[in-house]
Formats: sequence, structure tokens, C-alpha cells
Amino acid sequence: MFLFFVVFLVIPVVGTVWWSTQAGGIVGGTTNVGLQNFQRLPDLVGATAAIQNTLIFALLSIPPILIGALAISLVLARVGRGAAAYRFFVYFPVLVPGVVAGLIWLFLTNVDFGLFDNVLRAVGVQPVTWLGSDTALGVLAALDVWRNVGYWAIFFVAAIIGLPQELYQAASLDGASTAKRFWYLTLPLMRRILFFAIVVSTIWGLQVFDTALVLTNGGPGTATTTIIFRVWQYVFGTNDKVGFAAAISLVLIVAILTLTLAQMRLLRSRRGDD
Amino acid sequence: MTSASTPVSPTGTQYAIEILGVTKRYGKITALGGVDLDIEPGEFVVLLGPSGCGKSTLLKIIAGLEDLTDGEVYIGGKLANYLKPSARDVAMVFQNYALYPHMTVRSNLGFPLKMAGRPKAEVSQKVETAAALLQIGSELDKYPDELSGGQRQRVALGRAIVREPLAFLMDEPLSNLDALLRVQMRSELLRLHKRVGRTTVYVTHDQIEAMTMADRVVVMRHGLIQQIGPPDEVYRRPANRFVASFVGSPPMNILDGRIATADGRRTFIGPFPVEITGLAGATVDDGPAAIGIRSEELLLTTEATAGSFPAVIELVEPVGADIFLTATVEAGTVITIRVDAETKVEEGATVHIQIAPGATRLFDAAGDRVRLAGDGA
Amino acid sequence: MSVAVEPRHGNPGALQAIAAEHARSRRRRRLRGLGKHAFLIVVTLLLVAPFYYVVLASFKSSTEIFTYPPKLLPIPPFIGNYQKLLGDTGFLRWMFNTLFVAGTVTLIKVFMDSMAGYALAKLQLTGKRAIFLAMLILLMVPLGALIVPLWALVNWMGLTNTYLALILPPLANPLGVFLMRQFILGLPKDLENAGRLDGLSEFGIYRRIILPLIKPGLVVLAVIIFTDQFMSFIWPLIATSSDDLQVLTVGVAALRSHGGADYGLWSAAAVMSLVPIGVFFFVLQRQFLARSLAGALKQ
Repeated sequence: MFLFFVVFLVIPVVGTVWWSTQAGGIVGGTTNVGLQNFQRLPDLVGATAAIQNTLIFALLSIPPILIGALAISLVLARVGRGAAAYRFFVYFPVLVPGVVAGLIWLFLTNVDFGLFDNVLRAVGVQPVTWLGSDTALGVLAALDVWRNVGYWAIFFVAAIIGLPQELYQAASLDGASTAKRFWYLTLPLMRRILFFAIVVSTIWGLQVFDTALVLTNGGPGTATTTIIFRVWQYVFGTNDKVGFAAAISLVLIVAILTLTLAQMRLLRSRRGDD
Repeated sequence: MTSASTPVSPTGTQYAIEILGVTKRYGKITALGGVDLDIEPGEFVVLLGPSGCGKSTLLKIIAGLEDLTDGEVYIGGKLANYLKPSARDVAMVFQNYALYPHMTVRSNLGFPLKMAGRPKAEVSQKVETAAALLQIGSELDKYPDELSGGQRQRVALGRAIVREPLAFLMDEPLSNLDALLRVQMRSELLRLHKRVGRTTVYVTHDQIEAMTMADRVVVMRHGLIQQIGPPDEVYRRPANRFVASFVGSPPMNILDGRIATADGRRTFIGPFPVEITGLAGATVDDGPAAIGIRSEELLLTTEATAGSFPAVIELVEPVGADIFLTATVEAGTVITIRVDAETKVEEGATVHIQIAPGATRLFDAAGDRVRLAGDGA
Repeated sequence: MSVAVEPRHGNPGALQAIAAEHARSRRRRRLRGLGKHAFLIVVTLLLVAPFYYVVLASFKSSTEIFTYPPKLLPIPPFIGNYQKLLGDTGFLRWMFNTLFVAGTVTLIKVFMDSMAGYALAKLQLTGKRAIFLAMLILLMVPLGALIVPLWALVNWMGLTNTYLALILPPLANPLGVFLMRQFILGLPKDLENAGRLDGLSEFGIYRRIILPLIKPGLVVLAVIIFTDQFMSFIWPLIATSSDDLQVLTVGVAALRSHGGADYGLWSAAAVMSLVPIGVFFFVLQRQFLARSLAGALKQ
């Protein structure tokens, strides 16, 4: 097992570092150009656009996901009957492969027959082009919210159920209203979990690719080109940008590792949970 | 519900807490089957009973953390059935302390006041006072997980104290402490009660706590009150077999037998015959019955005397200042006798036992105590 | 006074007030319950509506799809889309590939990870700490970020466009090892001590004592691995180029980019893709949700 780990995980990581210093195509020879690739990276429009897009995407999608999940979990944790059914339906989108989700949303966003525009027509409003260059990224984000809110909702439900009931009894005796109980009790107690959720969903968000491919193929133009999308393009679509692709990948890996380490560090010095 | 429309108890504010006919049912299960209790202001009342007897449920109903199925609860003379817990002017100390783990001791103590919207100055002053009273002033800026069990206990108490409520409700607060600490905290609680003097309703299954701390003990079982009274009364004159065997350690010896009438005299026939005197005024039928005698009310005599009976010592257990003897009386009945440590007895020896005068309690077939003349009650 | 007093009631006004308040709070409680359910139903509808819409479309012919207002019920159902999907495209092949790869990876990994987890949990190995730490840190690095060197590596090994290329790399993910380790750590130590006393070898202990006990964990793990594999896209995309090795996700994506805009076909593809995972989920609900639940509790 360790063997596999080493071969397929460690080596590729090291490999990425090496490749990022190369120029040329992935097939055929390459030459070593040192750190040039990194230096030239900001100049590469495609690369910066990809990074920018991905960051905006993350900002657009993660807060709604987590806030929505929290809201859902608060209610879901307190219903008895039908809880299993709700859980099933809420979680289902999580299991949809990205490409299929992209396909499904094609049927939602299509100007002629998509669900969204049909609803708008039904109430007398003009149909909107959802996948235009201004709005495509937003729609992509909405897709991600749709897909992932269920995962975190269930996650939070488990956490909420694990909170000690006695604390809530004490709080209600102490005069805390429902809202105050949420603010002073539920939120602080869930701090670790919320933090974990933020980090992990960010890491996932940075990797968005398959939905972008199917929904908009990176477009229109470069509106929904994300980091991994760009990497893929560079490696398999061009003959001379492998190094850049690797450089971008490395940036991504470093970002992810930083987030992970930050989370681990903060998780150690957490305060007062039980 | 404003106090203008809140019904008031017919007895005004004579009692701190009144519980009338409180019943609690979950589907088919009856947790409380109609409980009545009047608690005087400043009284320390202990709800005592085995697990499942309903004592915690009753406490939670008083606190408002659970709803009752039937009955009325008056707190401070006002009907409290549907008041929110925080509106009832009571404070609770939980078994597991229920301290907010993410807040400092100071914030924990101040939380109820903060929720009530009290000004900061008042909050911090009350917090300091309570902390000083409980000797945790030096822990104010620590977090609960940095404190020992005893300290956490005090914080839980402190949080109740700062509210200056009408009554304290305590749900087995000492059961999570080790034995030594428990004894210490018991006397501390008592001291506190003498100083602060607030009405307290205290739930426990430990009858030693009940005996040492209570002004009055309420013995409960299966959702019903068995007896209410000051500790020594519950001890000496238990209302029924259950109370008799639950209170006191070691438990009271209860011997089954029958009552028979012969020549106008009534005798209890058990492992040994006991003449029943003073039944005038009280009635009990012939038939199955039982008597109860406390282990310290059995006296060893060296020789048979009138009214004594023989027993064979099975076990000698020295426990510090006393020795507990387990002995068998002829019919295979086992009794416990307490003697002081000086007594020399050997296992297997036959001794003669005499019952201290007035120590016999008679229980009828239903298990209730039959009052005999000379009982004093 | 040691006998309970006769039950008495407070003023009659009390009874009335109680009854009134009782009715009031019951009403309040019911409203709150309704509110909760209403909220959840709306959320559920929002999440589920897209599926229904696509299922609808899959039973419509291309012209029907474009008509407005749209039919809300698939009657009569048009099965041309499905016929095309199953007959003219490699869909069935893709499905087989995915199930095969996912299944194989799951099987292998379940064993590998439980053994590795056991090793990490119990055995003394040199450099254990280092390995553990390395695994922990790299846990989060996704395959997607490593496609450059990974592809080169696989190419160098001559494994491109083979089943092996699809199966081998995912085996490296340390998530399973962690889960198993946590699980095994949670088992009481005395059991294995008893086994040791009875003369079992380390492997024997693993096989006879530990393995049966971690079965529920294994099921959860299998579910997780299988789902991940089912949904994986980017690696299969670049690892295989020939048609008959395509996995479901890649094949479906190809439908989008290659053929013209055959929406009917696409919707059928979407629906059919979801059938296996939907069935699995329905049957093994608890195990699927256990992942989220367990993750939360661990924190």
C-alpha cells in the first residue's frame, strides 16, 4: 500500500515541481528553463484569467453553500417525521457526477426551453441568457451550490445532534431566546466544524473543472475557464505550454497544502470544546 | 402572559412553590402520577428516590424544561404552568454542570444576567460577589475544561446564585464527584444555604445526602410521593415498607409474617412472635403483615430473656466504629444487627437478640405502616 | 405531618387559564412544525426539480423539448432518446467500464486500506510517524492537480489507454487508510491481546479478530471509494483515449462536445447515468450518510 502511495502520489508531486521548470510540450523533448515559467506566469493572460475566475467562483459559491447548509441543518436536525426522506433528497445532488450535473443544468439554463427561462416566461418576464459571459461564472457557482449544499447540510446535522442538550436547557433557563441560543451557543460550539467546512469546501472549489467543461466549455471566451481547465488545455491542447501547466498546478498544490496546514494548526489550538 | 392575567394561588404567597396534582404521562408511561407538595420559603427540600421514580422529571417540570400533562405549579404564588423557564424566577444546577465550554468562568457566571439585559457594571459586580462567595475568584478567567470537578461545580452553583432567584433547583449535583469531594461539597452546600437562605429543591438518590441536608425529605417511587417529612421522621417512622427499606444504611430489617388473633390478643407471628400492643385505634386485619426493625434497634444479650429470640451469626463485618452482624433467625430469615466495635462475637455463634422497646414498626398487607399507640404520630 | 394532604386545586380561574394556554401553545407548536416542514419541502423541491425536468425532457422528442409551454407530464413517453442512447452510442460500454473500474478499485482498496490502516494503528514500523504525517498532509491534494506528471509517469510506464491506467492511480489516495486507522483505533485493545495470548500471528489477528469487527466501517469505505470512482472525470479523461475504454463520465461529456445539440439524447444520458448510483444510494442510505456523519463527529 505504501508502495502505491509513494509511486502515485509522492512522485507525481515531486514530478510537478520538476515539470514546472520545463518548457516545451509534454510529448517530445523539453528543455530546462529554471524558474522562468513562474516568472512569466503573471503575464500569461490565460493563466491569470484562470486563477482569477477560480477565485471568484470560490467566493461566489462557498458562502451560499455553507450558509444554506447551516440553515437547512438547523431545521433538519429538529424534525422528526420524514427526516430520512428529506435527507435522501437533500443529499442526492451530491452524488451526481460533475458532467451529469453540467448536463442537467444545460436543461435549466437553455434560453429556449430551460426551466429557468420557462418559469420567467410563465410570470411574464423576459427570458435571460444565463450563460452569457457576464453571468456564466455565477451560474457555475449556483450549480456548485446546488450540488454541494446537501453534503454539508448532513454534515452539520450530525454536528448539531452531537451538541449536549443540557447546555441548551441551561441556556433557556438563563433566559436566552432561540436566536440568542443560536448565536451564543450553537455557533461557537460549531466553530471547529465550520472552519473545517470552509477549508474543505474551498479546496474542492478550487478544483472545479468538469462542470465548467460540460456547461460552458470554459466560455464564453474565457469566462468560466478555471485553473484545472487551463492546465488541461495547456497540456493536451498545446505543444509548448507544459511547463506553465505544471507551474499552475504547483501553485494550486501549494495553495491547497497551505490551507490544509492552516486548518491542522488551528484545529490543534482550539479553545474550550468539552 | 402578564401577571395581571396570571392566576394566583389561593394561598397567596405563603408558599414558595406549590405543586398540585402534577401528572406527567408519555403515551402509556406515567412518569408522575399526581404529586402534591408545598414548599415553604427558605426551605431545603430533598426529592429522594431510586432512578426512574420521577424526581428529576418533577424538577424539570418545576423549571419549565418539561411540560406537565395535568396539574398546576405555582411559583411565588403565580401560576407557572406555561411560563417560559426564564420567566419562572428559578435557577438550576445540572448534574453535569452544563457549563458553556467556550466561555470563561466569568462569562459563564454572567451569562444569565447578560441575557436579562442587565447593565455591565451590575453584571460584573454580581459575578464578583458570587465568585467570592464560592471561593472561585481566582478562576474567573479560566475556561471550564481547565477546572477540577469541584471547581466546575461551584461555577454551576455560581451561575445559579447570580440570578438571585426565588428558588434553586438542583439535579443530583454531587453525583459526579468522588466520595471525598462529595462529603466536602455537601457541607459547603449546607453552609451556603444557611448563608443565602434561598428555597432549594434538591434531587438525589443518595439517602445520606437527603438525611444530612434536608429540612424535609420527599420520598418518591414510581411517580408517586411515598412520604414527606423531616429526615428523622422519615427514618424513624417510615410511611411504608418502601421508605423503610430505602432510607437508612444498612436497610431496615423487614420480616414478613402474619397477624393472628388469639384470646383477644393479637400477635404478629414471624420468625419469632411479637405481641402487638396498642392497636387500639388503629385497625389491621389478621393475615399477612410485616415488621421492621432497624439494625441498631436490635440488642445482643448473652442469655435468653423474655421476648428475646435466638439467631446464628453468619458474618461479622467490622466497619470502623461499628460491626455489622448478619444473622439468621430460625426460619431462614436474615437480619442485620449493628453493634459497636467492642463487641466480641464469632461467626457461627448463637446469640440472643432483643428488640429495643418501641422499635417495632408494623406494616400491613399493602405495605403501609400501621400506627401503634406510643408511636407519637 | 408525614402523610400527603388531600389533592386540592387552585382557583378555578387557574384551570381555565391553563386550558387556554394549553390550546395556545399547541397551536404555536403546530405552526412551528408546519413552518419547518414547509421550509424543508421548498428546499427539497428546489434541489429535486432539476432532476424531474430532465427526466421529462428525456421522454420528449427534440421538437417537443423546444415547445412552450412545456408538457409537465411525460405522456405519451417518447423513447427514441433512450433507443439512440443505448443503441447508437457506446453508453453501455461506458457504463460497464465505469462499474468495472470502480468495482475493482473498491475491492482492492478495501483490503489494502484496512491492512494499511491496521498497520498504522497497531504495528511498530520504522518511520511510521513520518509516513503518517506525509499521508496526512498530502491527503488533500487531488488527482486533478497532478495530471501533468501523472500522465507523464503513466506514459513512461507504457500504461496509457489501459484499464490499469484507470485503476492504479486512485489506489494511492490515503483517505481510506485514515478512516480505517481511526476505526481500528476505536476498537478495544483487549481483543487483540486475547488473540495474541491464544497464539495468533499478526496477520491472524487481522483476519480473525479485526476484520469482522470493522465490517461496518468497510462498507462505508467501499461506498465512499465506489462513489468517488463513479464520479471521477479528469483522470479518466486524459488517461484513456480509445473509445471502448471510456468511462461513463467521459463518454457523457463527449456527447456534449462531439455530436450536435441533441438535447433529447443528452437528457436520456443524464438520467441513465444516475440510475445505478441512485439505486445504490437508496439501498445503502445509512452507509452513504455515515461518511458525513462520521466526519462531523470526528471533529
